Amino acid sequence: MPVLTRGAYAEPGTSLAFKTGDWRTMRPVHKHWAAPCHGACPAGEDAQEWLARFQEGHPREAWETIAHINPLPAVTGRICPHPCETACNRTHYDSPIAIHALERWLGDQAILNNWSFPGAQGVAEPAAVAVVGAGPGGLSCAYQLARRGHKVTLIDALPEPGGLLRSAIPMTRLPRDVLDAEIGRILDLGITFKPHTRLGDEADLARLRQEHRAVFLAPGIGLAKNWSVGGQVPTDHRPALELLKEFIAHGKVPTPASVIIHGGGNTAVDLARVMKRAGVAEVHLVTASGLPGPDTEPGDILNVVPRELHEAIEEGIIFHPHRTIQRLLMRGSKLMGIEMVSLRKLPGASGRKSRVAFEGTETILHADMVIPAIGENVDPTGFEALLGGAPYFRPADEWGRLPGHPDLFVGGDARGDRGTAAGAIGDGRKAAEAIDLFLAGQEPVHQRRPTLPYDHLNMAYYEPAPRREPPVLPVEQRTDSDEIEGPLPDAEARAEANRCLSCGSCLACDNCWTYCPDNAVIKTIEQAQDGSHYVFDYEYCKGCGMCATECPCGYIVMEEDH
Amino acid sequence: MLKALEGSQALARAVALCRPGVVAAYPITPQTHIVENISKLVADGEMGCELVSVESEFSAASVVLGAAAAGARAYTASSSQGIMLMSEVLYNMAGLRIPAVITCANRSVGAPLNIWNDQADSMAIRDSGCIQLYCADNQEGVDSTIQAFRIAEATELPVMVCVDGFVLTHTLEPIDLPSQTKVDRFLPEFDFARRLDPKAPKSFGTLVDPGWFTEVRHSHHRAMQKALPVIEEIDAAYEKAIGRAAGGLLKTHGPKGAKTAVLALGSVVSTLRQGLNDGLAKTPVKIIQLRCFRPFPTEALIEAVDGVDDLIVLERAFSPGLGGIVGTEVTAALAHLKKRPRIHNFAVGLGGRDVPVELLPELIAATRGTTPEPFRIFDVELDKLPAEDR
Repeated sequence: MPVLTRGAYAEPGTSLAFKTGDWRTMRPVHKHWAAPCHGACPAGEDAQEWLARFQEGHPREAWETIAHINPLPAVTGRICPHPCETACNRTHYDSPIAIHALERWLGDQAILNNWSFPGAQGVAEPAAVAVVGAGPGGLSCAYQLARRGHKVTLIDALPEPGGLLRSAIPMTRLPRDVLDAEIGRILDLGITFKPHTRLGDEADLARLRQEHRAVFLAPGIGLAKNWSVGGQVPTDHRPALELLKEFIAHGKVPTPASVIIHGGGNTAVDLARVMKRAGVAEVHLVTASGLPGPDTEPGDILNVVPRELHEAIEEGIIFHPHRTIQRLLMRGSKLMGIEMVSLRKLPGASGRKSRVAFEGTETILHADMVIPAIGENVDPTGFEALLGGAPYFRPADEWGRLPGHPDLFVGGDARGDRGTAAGAIGDGRKAAEAIDLFLAGQEPVHQRRPTLPYDHLNMAYYEPAPRREPPVLPVEQRTDSDEIEGPLPDAEARAEANRCLSCGSCLACDNCWTYCPDNAVIKTIEQAQDGSHYVFDYEYCKGCGMCATECPCGYIVMEEDH
Repeated sequence: MLKALEGSQALARAVALCRPGVVAAYPITPQTHIVENISKLVADGEMGCELVSVESEFSAASVVLGAAAAGARAYTASSSQGIMLMSEVLYNMAGLRIPAVITCANRSVGAPLNIWNDQADSMAIRDSGCIQLYCADNQEGVDSTIQAFRIAEATELPVMVCVDGFVLTHTLEPIDLPSQTKVDRFLPEFDFARRLDPKAPKSFGTLVDPGWFTEVRHSHHRAMQKALPVIEEIDAAYEKAIGRAAGGLLKTHGPKGAKTAVLALGSVVSTLRQGLNDGLAKTPVKIIQLRCFRPFPTEALIEAVDGVDDLIVLERAFSPGLGGIVGTEVTAALAHLKKRPRIHNFAVGLGGRDVPVELLPELIAATRGTTPEPFRIFDVELDKLPAEDR
């Protein structure tokens, strides 16, 4: 019979007899959420994960984490409209992490230090795979297949790889040495690149399919959409993408006294800036979308990299948001100007929103030239039957599988539902995964984690910190060749990475271990099964939930326990 | 040698003589002077303790509990609402059997706000399991404080020494402070057997389930009962070492064979003694000073009231809706006696109302030849109340 101690003090270990776990109705569990940046990235990068490596002082590991998903971080860090930053939970607190600037910093470090791609698990039976189109989608797919050991042939109609990255993105946004370095590193994986190779007819594609176990199609969109205003077209009009490509290849653009660009994408804004710098006094941009502002819904904003839009306004581009061209004012075949009308997105009878023009809002804008920038379709040459008259390929799923053609996969702009290099890179990677599994007779599986909402963070544990903005050339110093946005200085980059809240991933802060009133959180030296360094001792956890409340990053959640 | 000292200063010096390791307190009238004086002694280098300034009485008592658990001789003082705020910790200290000394400079408990003396504060925590000693004058305050450390350490129970606020704490009185040598001889260094020690870890204050709680309570009750002779022995040892006793569990004053007795606690005893010495009582009456209220000295009380026909129980607090606290306990303690005195129970001097020497003859006159009336507040002036509140 044990005997009571005076004052009922307990000897070490005796309290272990109280199995407080019996009291529990809720149990804490570790939950590895997707950070919002991860969910928002069209390429599929987990920015939270690579920022964590960066925070730990391992920039190379951070870059390798990116490179597993995206082999072109120095490119995307520069040109991506970074929906990751829009989604960043820190937006609700002070301002989002400058993810694009950090991605670029890491990408540049990799080029500077000649880091090689991280290894991947190879396949037992390498197969021959063809990739059509050496834009970001094709390069991404070729990279993912090559690093798994497949024999990849990459073909492109142009003399050099890169697709629109090379042909349509101004040097001021993407220096070509950066592009060359990143593409070179991909091709060095042993990819056979065949330039000047265009699929001329259906037979070419059939031959390609015969010679390869699978084909990834990322031909892009090279055919400007038909454009007219009420059936009228100025005889000398040329689409914006064509003019932009011409400028990038030859350094020349038309220089009328005034120009109206009709459209609201990156091509329109890029061309507007190029023409402004070339000496066009008045560059107007007429777009049905809105400029960012309190009255503009997020989905109605110009689909342009936000900082590019800001720079364009700085440079004097005149935007006419929520407008469309109602009439061309012609004198004979010569353009004198346009009649614009206001429009807004309004819900129609079915409830779906569509753009409605308002009578009585007509205004006249004089100009010497009008340039349509309303988008492009897939050039059907060589794919006529496959396209069946449609403007884009319509794959069955996110893996890019085409119905009825198990060996064919499609991605990038040619899908018609992407529109960014990052989206194309994501398509390339997913198609490569699907191809790899298809070759092994398996099906790809979705692995999605739910996204951590802001209210699951305990912001008491974070301090406000200003966002580090990369340096930008002043308007008067901007040229056609120098990059406008500069790199973050090293110390700034580290400081910026430290702002990451680690949404949904364990920070190893010890809060759960410190606060647990029952010592039911055990700290482990080795990584626990979930990758953290903590395990719950459910024999003693009474389910109070303190750990979940005090977890800064939402990694601990309470669930029903029966 | 006698010295004219303010009560608070005398108590501070008495604490200093006991060489505490830790003093922690938060100021509250009328306790403030005690800790102020201790603070001065520490600042002047006359006292070598760790003086911890805290933000509340709860913390003061907690620091003392922790310090004593770690093996330090520890002291705190408070009053009124401060004692209320400490009460949770005082229960813990007693239940954990942690020896420490607390001075209660007795003051009424609000509302309404009143800074003057009665004993509602210490009475409110009478069930905490702390020993409570009540002092009739400041000399007793000094002697009881020194004894309290030895009692606490011998019984492993906290001891509260109650001195009436203002009446004692702010009054100058000729005091004999024993020499340091004598106190050192009387009070050996504190050596706490259960002290917290990283080399032999223990966990204080852990959960005790229904299988054991009853036994903890029983042992606490027994410890309090066993403290009764210890308090007497220590008073005797003090008398031997210092040359003066403080009154053991209770002490009587006046003619032995008196048929009337007045029982009281605290400074009222001094006032009654004065009235008796001044010959204000026309009949023989003896004063019974209940020095030790917890543990309750039933045996000593029975002995003291032997032969008494009328026992007047005076107290400076009461339990609203019941009546006297001390009176009720005295009645209960004597209930089983075949021949027991008639008990008259009054509260006096609430919230600092003056208790004059004339109280003694008034009490005797009020109770002479009458059957005991139910408890009442003796000095209440009902005409100050609206009729419906009388």
